[in-house]
Amino acid sequence: MDITLFTPEESPFFQSTQQSNGQAAIDMHSNNQPQNSHTSTSRSSDSGVLPSASGKWASRLLKECAQAISEKDSSKIHQLLWMLNELASPYGDCDQKLASYFLQALFCKATESGQRCYKTLTSVAEKSHSFDSARKLILKFQEVSPWMTFGHVASNGAILEALEGETKLHIIDISNTLCTQWPTLLEALATRNDDTPHLKLTVVVTTSTVKSVMKEVGQRMEKFARLMGVPFEFNAIMGLNHLAELTKEVLGVQEDEAIVVNCIGALRRVEVEERGAVIQMFQSLRPRVVTIVEEEADLSSSRDDFVKCFEECLRFYTLYFEMLEESFVPTSNERLMLERDCSRSIVRVLACDDEKSSEEDCERRERGSQWSERLKEAFSRVGFSDDVVDDVKALLKRYKAGWALVLPQGDHDDSGIYLTWKEEPVLWASAWKP
Amino acid sequence: MMSGDSFSVASSIGGFGQEVQNTNPNPNPAAKKKRNLPGTPDPDAEVIALSPKTLMATNRFVCEICNKGFQRDQNLQLHRRGHNLPWKLRQRTNKEVRKKVYICPEKTCVHHDPSRALGDLTGIKKHFSRKHGEKKWKCEKCSKKYAVQSDWKAHSKTCGTREYKCDCGTLFSRKDSFITHRAFCDALADESARLTSLAAANNLNFGNDSMNETVINPQPGLPLGASQFGSGFRPELSGMAINGNSLGVDQQKPRLSLWLNQANSQLNPTDMMANSHLYESSGSTAFPEMVQAVSGNLFGSSSMPNFGNFNNQQFQGFDKSVSTSKNASLSLSALPHEMKEEGNKGNVVETLSSLYSDTQKKQSKPSMPMSATALLQKAAQMGSTTSNPSSIFGNSFGVMSSSSSNTTTSFNTLNQNRNELHQALQNSKQQAAENFTASGSVDGMLGSSNLSSLTTSTNSFDQLMMQTSGKQSDPVALKNHPGSNAIENSLTRDFLGMGGRESQRPFLAQELAKFASMSSAMGLSQFTGNH
Repeated sequence: MDITLFTPEESPFFQSTQQSNGQAAIDMHSNNQPQNSHTSTSRSSDSGVLPSASGKWASRLLKECAQAISEKDSSKIHQLLWMLNELASPYGDCDQKLASYFLQALFCKATESGQRCYKTLTSVAEKSHSFDSARKLILKFQEVSPWMTFGHVASNGAILEALEGETKLHIIDISNTLCTQWPTLLEALATRNDDTPHLKLTVVVTTSTVKSVMKEVGQRMEKFARLMGVPFEFNAIMGLNHLAELTKEVLGVQEDEAIVVNCIGALRRVEVEERGAVIQMFQSLRPRVVTIVEEEADLSSSRDDFVKCFEECLRFYTLYFEMLEESFVPTSNERLMLERDCSRSIVRVLACDDEKSSEEDCERRERGSQWSERLKEAFSRVGFSDDVVDDVKALLKRYKAGWALVLPQGDHDDSGIYLTWKEEPVLWASAWKP
Repeated sequence: MMSGDSFSVASSIGGFGQEVQNTNPNPNPAAKKKRNLPGTPDPDAEVIALSPKTLMATNRFVCEICNKGFQRDQNLQLHRRGHNLPWKLRQRTNKEVRKKVYICPEKTCVHHDPSRALGDLTGIKKHFSRKHGEKKWKCEKCSKKYAVQSDWKAHSKTCGTREYKCDCGTLFSRKDSFITHRAFCDALADESARLTSLAAANNLNFGNDSMNETVINPQPGLPLGASQFGSGFRPELSGMAINGNSLGVDQQKPRLSLWLNQANSQLNPTDMMANSHLYESSGSTAFPEMVQAVSGNLFGSSSMPNFGNFNNQQFQGFDKSVSTSKNASLSLSALPHEMKEEGNKGNVVETLSSLYSDTQKKQSKPSMPMSATALLQKAAQMGSTTSNPSSIFGNSFGVMSSSSSNTTTSFNTLNQNRNELHQALQNSKQQAAENFTASGSVDGMLGSSNLSSLTTSTNSFDQLMMQTSGKQSDPVALKNHPGSNAIENSLTRDFLGMGGRESQRPFLAQELAKFASMSSAMGLSQFTGNH
C-alpha cells in the first residue's frame, strides 16, 4: 500500500474548493503552503494569528490555542480550532500531524470530552490490534530506530552483569514491549557460559492493547527459549489495575530466585500519587537489580498548569514525530500506527485531568532526574559498566545518524544514561540495587 | 576425545614444575601423519610444560643495547648484527629432533593432561590466552571481546559483513534484530506445530534398534521404499555425517553434529527431524539428498523445525540445495514412485529423521556444545559454501533419474509445498497489512465502513465550507460545559458540516476521525485508491 504523502501544496483540490466556493470570507490561509508560512489576511477579528516564519506553524497555533483554552477565550478557541482543523492532517508532514493529534486533544479539553474520547480511541485500538500487527509494528520500529532497543540493551547488560553466576533467575518485566527485549537476553544466557541458568519470566502488562496478545507472545517466548536451550518459564499477569497491588505471591516470587525488576516505560503509567508506593513495592521484592527506562519529558510537575504542560507535551511529541518521520520510510504504515498510539496518550495527558480512570494509563512522564529522586528513597544507583556502555554505543552505530549516548557527568542527580536524538535527550535508562 | 586406546601416559605426569619433563608413553605404531583431534599428541613426543608467564610473554628476547623486544631468539640475533654486536644463530640440530608438545599450565584445563597436549608453541600460547587470559581486544561493532589479537583482527574483518537469514527468508545484517525477529517469526510457530502433529500422526518409534520398524509407516507406498532406503543406508548412517568423520566434507561438520547432539538432548526428538535431514543433505553423500529433498519438500524453507540455535540459518544454503536437488533425490531409484507424491514425503522425512536422530543420540559425545554464535558463524559459512550443491547432486543423480522432466515436475511439486507455506505466510501478513491500511485511510478508527463515508465526506466538505462561512458570521459563545449543546452543535457543524447530528453527544473519535479523514480525503483521493 502506498500512502501518498499529503501536503496541501500538492493538492489543488484542497485549495480550489475553498476558492471556488467564493464564500471564503475567511481566507484564513491564502497562502497554500501552510508548512512554510501562514498568513491570515482578512480576518479582522482574529487577533492571535500572525504571519509566521517558515516552519513550525503548528506549534505556534497549537500553543495559541492552548493559551486560549486556559484563558477560556471562547471565540479565539473557536477560531483557532477551526484553523487547525483546516491545516491539520494525520497524513501530512510533521507539522500537520502534530496539529492533527494535538487538535484532537485540545478539542477534547475545550469540550471536556477527553475521557470519552480516550475510551473510544482505546477501544478502537484494541479492536484493530492483533498479534501479527503488533509484532510487525514493534519489530519494525526496533529495526529503524533505537528508541526501544536502547533501553533493552542497557537493561539486559545490567541484568546479565548483576546476575552473573546465578542459576535461578526470575525477571519481573513490567513493560509493554511484547517481550521483544528478551530474545537477545536468552541468547546471551545460552551462549555466555556452559551452564545455562533457569529463567522465569513474569510479565506484568499494563496497557489494554497488549493484554490481548500476551498469550501468543508467551508461546513464542517459550518456543524460542526451547530453541536456545534455556530452561524457561513464562507467566503473564494481566488482571491488575494498579501496579502497587503486586505482591510476591501474585508474582510467584520464590526465595531461591534472583529477582530482577525490569520496568520499561511503565512507571509513567502509574498515577503520580501512587508512584512512591510502587517503588516501595519493588523494594519489597528484594530484587538484585531494578532497571528503569523512561522517556524524558516532564509532564507531571506541571500538572496544574495547562499551558506549561501543553508546551512540554508538544515539545516532546514534536521530537518523537520528527524522529519517526526520519526513521521510517515515508510510506510506512507502522509509523502511522505509532503516531496514532501517541494520539491516545496526548489526549490522556492533556484532556483527562479531572477524572481518574481505573486503569494504569496516566502517561505523565517524568524526567530521569525526577525518577531518580523517587528511586533514591529505596534504592541506590548502579552504574552501567563500560561493557554495557560499549554495547549501547555499538547499537547506536547500527542505526541512522542523529543518535547519541550521553553519560552522566560526575555523580550528581542524573543517575542514568541518556539517549539523545539530535542532541535532545529523549530516553533515560538506569539501574538500581537495593 | 582421546579414549586412551593408543597409548597410556607415563606415571611421571604428576607435579609439573617449570622444567621440561620427558614422558615416554608407549610408542604408537602409526608413523603416518594422520591428523588427530586437537590435543592428541604423538606419543613419542617430548612434553613441555611452560609457565603462564612464559606463555604470555610476548617479546622475551630483549636487545641489551636498545631494549627492543623480539619473539624469537633468531630475530634478536639478527638485530644484534645492527649494533655490531657478536651474534650467533643457533643451528638446527642435525640429529633427530624430538617432537615437542606443550601442556597448559592451568590445572583445570583439559590440555593440562599430557595426553591432550598441543603440538605447537604458538598454539599453546594462543590457547592459554583465549581460555585463561584476559580479553583485552574488543570489537567496535559488536563489543565482542578477544584475548588474542589475531582473533580480534580476524573477527573485525567479518563483523557486520555476515548476514543472517531467517527461515522465512528475511535477511538481516544485524544479529540482534535477527534474534528478535527469529523469536517471533511465524516460521518458528509453524514448524513446531507441524512437527508435533506429524509425529503424533505417525507415531514414530525412535529406538535405533528398531530403525527398520520405524521405517514402516502408515503410508502404503512408503514402507517398502523406505525400508530399502533405511537398510540401504543404515550402515552408512554411522559413518555418515553425524559426527562428520565419514563425511569428510567440512571440518565444521563434526561440531555441527555436536551441537545437534546437545540440542537433541534438550529437545523432543521430533524436532530433530528435518534438521538432521538437512544437516545430512549438506553433505555430498547420496542419502542425504534424498532425505533432504524429502524434508525440503515437506518443510521447505519456512518450516525448519524450531530446533537448535538458528540451525535453520545454516540450512538456508541447504534450502537451495534442497530445492534444487529435490529432483535428484526423488529420482533415486531406491524409492518407489509413490515417494514422489507429496503426501508420502513427509513420512519418509520423519522416519529418516528418526533414524538420524537416533544415530546421533547414540553417537553423541559429551564434548562441549558450541555457542550459538559460533553455530551461526558455521552455518553462515556452510550456507555460503554449500549453497550451490545443486550441480553436484544433479550430476550424481543424473544417472539414476529417469529424466529431467521427471525431476522438474517433482521439483515443482516440492517447490509448491514450500511456496505454499511461504504464500500462506505472506498472505496472512499481507492481509493484515491490507486491513490496516484500508482502515488506515480513514484514520483506522472506523474500520472498513468508512471507505464509503469518504466519498460522502468529500461532498460534505463543500457543505462544510458553506456552512462554515455562514457560521462565522454568527459567533457562538463557547462555554466550557459539556451540557452546552449549542456550542457543540455549532462547533460540530463548523467542523464537519454534518447536518444530521441531532444528538448532543460530544465529539467522538469517530467524528474527529471523520474530519481528519475529510481533510485527507480532499487531497488524497488518489490515496484511497492506492491500496
